[in-house]
Amino acid sequence: MFTKHVKKHLSAYAHGELTTEEAERVAGHLRACANCRAEFDQIKLGVRLAECLPSVSAPERLWEGIESALVREQSHSKQRGSQAPSHEPARARSERLFRSEKIFGARGFPSRRRSLAAFALACLALAACGALLFMRASQPSWQVARLEGAPRIDSDQIGDRGRLAVGEWLETDAASRAEIAVANIGQVEVDPNTRVRLVATRVNEHRLELARGTLHARIWAPPRLFFVNTPSAVAADLGCAYTLEVDDAGRGLLHVTAGYVALEDGARESVVPAGAACLTKPGAGPGTPFFEDAPDAYVAALARYDFAGDRAALDTLLDGARTRDTLTLWHLLSRANNTDRARVYERLAAIAPPPEGVTREGVLRLDRTMLDAWKDRLESDWTDESFPAVRRAWRKLFE
Amino acid sequence: MESYAAMGEGEARETVIEACRRGDRDAFRLLFEKHKDRVYSIALYFFGGDEATACDVTQAVFLKLFTRIAQFQGESEFATWLYRLTTNACVDELRRRRRFLQFGEGMEVREPRDKPSHDEALARAEAAGEVKRAVAMLRPKLRVVMLLKYFEELSYEEIAAVVGCSKGTVASRLNRGHKILARKLGHLRPSLMRAEQEG
Repeated sequence: MFTKHVKKHLSAYAHGELTTEEAERVAGHLRACANCRAEFDQIKLGVRLAECLPSVSAPERLWEGIESALVREQSHSKQRGSQAPSHEPARARSERLFRSEKIFGARGFPSRRRSLAAFALACLALAACGALLFMRASQPSWQVARLEGAPRIDSDQIGDRGRLAVGEWLETDAASRAEIAVANIGQVEVDPNTRVRLVATRVNEHRLELARGTLHARIWAPPRLFFVNTPSAVAADLGCAYTLEVDDAGRGLLHVTAGYVALEDGARESVVPAGAACLTKPGAGPGTPFFEDAPDAYVAALARYDFAGDRAALDTLLDGARTRDTLTLWHLLSRANNTDRARVYERLAAIAPPPEGVTREGVLRLDRTMLDAWKDRLESDWTDESFPAVRRAWRKLFE
Repeated sequence: MESYAAMGEGEARETVIEACRRGDRDAFRLLFEKHKDRVYSIALYFFGGDEATACDVTQAVFLKLFTRIAQFQGESEFATWLYRLTTNACVDELRRRRRFLQFGEGMEVREPRDKPSHDEALARAEAAGEVKRAVAMLRPKLRVVMLLKYFEELSYEEIAAVVGCSKGTVASRLNRGHKILARKLGHLRPSLMRAEQEG
């Protein structure tokens, strides 16, 4: 052992992690090998430096947040265990409350006249409850399953299952997760610290609002049936799976894992295929999509170009573009000013020449038909799918 | 509480964990007090001194720990389980934040508030600030093993169990971490050596 250099054992040697025999051999080698000795000198300096890091005390206030979350979790567990009133079915709860003496007051109604009045009141209340129950039952809602912790719908903790009606908010805290059944077309998993509202559910539109947090959507319906509103863009499903995040400032990040998603804000649209991502920002709308395997410098340049008006960043975007980055360049065509658009065209044409019938002049004046024709040609480089043409046909069928 | 003090450490820990499983709030608090500084320190240095993120991560770690403690069956050491939760929480948060870094808001390296110095040599105190910054710049995989080694004083085997890799990989990552620190902070060598000779 250790007839060769011992560099890879030097940290373990310094930390006393080697057996006695191994340590002796390393020591012997170090005496004979100046190269490994120099390396060990470096390792020892690294160890001494790391030992300088002082431990830090956690702030006292930390426990308060943990304790309140624990209280919520424990009360939730108890309620589930004991079938507490708040988890009774709505009808049973209403009936129980209706039967309660408190509705009539503690003293009751001694006279016949009062009894009649009480009977009339009871009928009215019963009718009102019935109407409320009917309205609630007839209001469209989605099923919600608790995955972890204590998710809430409009401030009420749900049991293992609950219903999210139109207009209601589903909220998770740091220890909660939930899953929403999106009508009969898919599922949405809601991560901790997320606030999401059911905006609409009907035959031709199912729509959520994501105010903050993270959701993972899997949709198996024709395109443009499922939408998620965020503070800076609307995510329109084109048949896909994706993760959407919104931070406290209302900025969003879309990450597509299968199929396509369109991010829209007015006339501005970004089409994001699997493997790509797109940032959104309030006031600016969706940024330009990029593939997630693009270098950090490339993505940073794109963010500067999109959101900070840094036109110099275009140099990085053009010089660093790979074949797949035609996704980014194609989107930039309709976002750049005239001067920049010509540069983007030249670079895009150099990577993937436009198909027959698509001219430089047409692209520079943003002829929609030509841009779409070029995009159709480029899409085979944007997706790993075997049959992008079939997917395009599927989408067009429903557009 | 006194009854825990009378027990051996291993027995006390088992008793506290068992009480946590039953939902005993005092036991939760004991466990929190015992481990909070180390969990917080790892999170703080992992995020380059960002105290707000370190607080969020620490809270998330303990909430997860308390809500899942019934699942802890003692197959692994409790510390291994706790630090696995911690490193996973750090890496998850880093992934989440990194995706938003594209807006040009790079992770700012800030100075954590230290505990009052316990007779640290002046040179070590001076070096600490630079080391913090250098550690914050390490790749997450290297950063995690360095923090587990130097804050938790875990053995290579324990680090391997926390991170889910081999002892050899731990040794290799520590080697790389040490060399990066030495390369970046070589100028501190004379003052460290002086401090050691005087100490």
